[in-house]
Amino acid sequence: MSTLPIDRRGLLGAGVVVAAALGLAACERKAPVSLAPGVSKADFAGFIAAAKSIVGAEWVAGDAQSVKPWTKKYIPDPGNVHAPVGAVAPASVEEVQELVRIANTYKQPLWPVSTGKNMGYGMTSTAAPGQIVLDLKRMNRILSVDPELCTALVEPGVTYQQLKDYLVENNLPLWIDVPTVGPIASPVGNTLDRGVGYTPYGEHFMVQCGMEVVMPNGDLLKTGMGSTKNPSAWQAFKWGYGPYLDGIFTQSNFGVVTKMGMWLLPAPPVYKPFVVRHKKMEDVSRIVDAMRPLRIANIIPNVVLMMGAGYQLGMFARRAEVWDKPEPVPDEAFEAAAAKVGLGMWNTYFALYGTETMVAESEKIVRAAFEAIGGEVLTEADMVGNPYFHHHATLMQGGLSLEEIGIVRWKGAGGGLAWFAPVAPAKGSETVGQVALAKEILGRHGFDYTVAFAIGSRELHHIIALLYDKSDPADEKRAAECYHDLVTGFGDKGWASYRTGVQAMDLVAQQYGEVNRAVNAAIKQALDPNHIIAPGKSGIA
Amino acid sequence: MRRTVLIAAALVMAGAGTAWAAGQQLGQPLAPRSPEKVYASTCGYCHGTNVGPIILGRHLPAVTVVGMVREGRNAMPAFRPTEISNGELEALSRWVEASAANPQEKGQ
Repeated sequence: MSTLPIDRRGLLGAGVVVAAALGLAACERKAPVSLAPGVSKADFAGFIAAAKSIVGAEWVAGDAQSVKPWTKKYIPDPGNVHAPVGAVAPASVEEVQELVRIANTYKQPLWPVSTGKNMGYGMTSTAAPGQIVLDLKRMNRILSVDPELCTALVEPGVTYQQLKDYLVENNLPLWIDVPTVGPIASPVGNTLDRGVGYTPYGEHFMVQCGMEVVMPNGDLLKTGMGSTKNPSAWQAFKWGYGPYLDGIFTQSNFGVVTKMGMWLLPAPPVYKPFVVRHKKMEDVSRIVDAMRPLRIANIIPNVVLMMGAGYQLGMFARRAEVWDKPEPVPDEAFEAAAAKVGLGMWNTYFALYGTETMVAESEKIVRAAFEAIGGEVLTEADMVGNPYFHHHATLMQGGLSLEEIGIVRWKGAGGGLAWFAPVAPAKGSETVGQVALAKEILGRHGFDYTVAFAIGSRELHHIIALLYDKSDPADEKRAAECYHDLVTGFGDKGWASYRTGVQAMDLVAQQYGEVNRAVNAAIKQALDPNHIIAPGKSGIA
Repeated sequence: MRRTVLIAAALVMAGAGTAWAAGQQLGQPLAPRSPEKVYASTCGYCHGTNVGPIILGRHLPAVTVVGMVREGRNAMPAFRPTEISNGELEALSRWVEASAANPQEKGQ
């Protein structure tokens, strides 16, 4: 049997050969990356050497070739400025502490990632040049699962797949709540980015409980009840005493989270997923107004998605199957293509959870509410064999799927995706202006209206998938310009993003005003005076 | 009885060439996974579900699989050595190369 070259250089060399053979122009279209401001070549080399002594040479990438697996991204970055210059992968919190200390010594900024699979937000690419990815994926221990309190404590590298496997293998009747890329993403990473899923525990930061954080000086902080003499309530009580600190470690660069507690949902006796079909673009306003009171009263208990036909079709179809012209796909074409696969222009997915009696009573209320606005209320029995319904029925019970990632191939094989997700109050009137503005800006740059709306509780997220072909430099440039215009165009109306990719973190921070930025900058300066943790994250230098 | 179990376990391990762990234990890092497990928990979510192309049964050279996994061809994400270890990838790439088509998979 032949032996494959399996050392890292060998692997990557093989990759280059493959890329060349396949003519992957995008792989070669890379601008040179530079070191961080104030970091000399000697500093960088000193950090790399010291890092190798901490984690072992095999877990340090310190040159352009070896760092390649950390440079893949879907976001538009025509100048390739959001590329790491290295990567280091510790296996323990003690190694993280040591790495943070030497980062201070050499003033080398680190970009922490948990599993680095926030597709459409940047994966393991960095907000500013010259950073070294602090890849926490090897820290993948599930530290505790309490079947009585329905809680878990996990490290950053634990994926939703691992946690699900553990619960299944140990026959524990607990559900996880997953984002759309659950198998390869992590509870820690998604929660720290304030991501969402689709069960009643869909607002992930709401069901987070307790953190361990390596501070920029190497100190180890345990939030909530974690630092008491008997931290048995660490995963049971969120608030601890004094200022609530967990929030400042989300969407921030004030520390490196190395453990996180979370709540798990007891498996309900009955789970019943639904979809409500509406046929016209303008129906979304009435859907939001019908949904709001049901969510606020918790009659519908999960985070609900109103999937637009374009986004929905993009999961399994390519653009050319729907529309053969360069101009943005018109509503009529989306409507017709959606109807062929059993979908409407808006497909509202929600579920009921509880006892049979509870679900039956809630179903009467829900049916009445949506039938009153012309919706077709459909269940699993009506949607047998429909892959779109099956996908959402999977997600709403914490099941694992990557089917939505099919959208990155919408415009071409090159893959290209940037999420833009402005927030508004959950009122139908808000959708009218948002739909018009999104279509105008996307259309101006030649992109399609491929979107969903989501309601967590009282807020409305307009989840816009900016889909482009990354193998086409002109399309990537248009996508970058379009994203800029989306942020500023929506920002001018007070519709700012709840989250963004590394390519637009500073721009989104601008939408929240100077005082917010100054407070964040003051906290950063106090906790991380050398600015060695992820400068640029959320617009915080 | 115990001796029989041990012998059987040893034979299974010898047959596979590597000892793959059954499941993750609390407080322990994820042990090396079999190619079947890596495929099922990563690759198979796209390849075989109408998202990515079918790769089983096509006799893709192992070296090609390795390159694609590490760099992420076109719309495919890259998978780092921290996600799929070099040892896991070596076994996975050979397994994919030698695999038969799975009629349950759907692809385009």
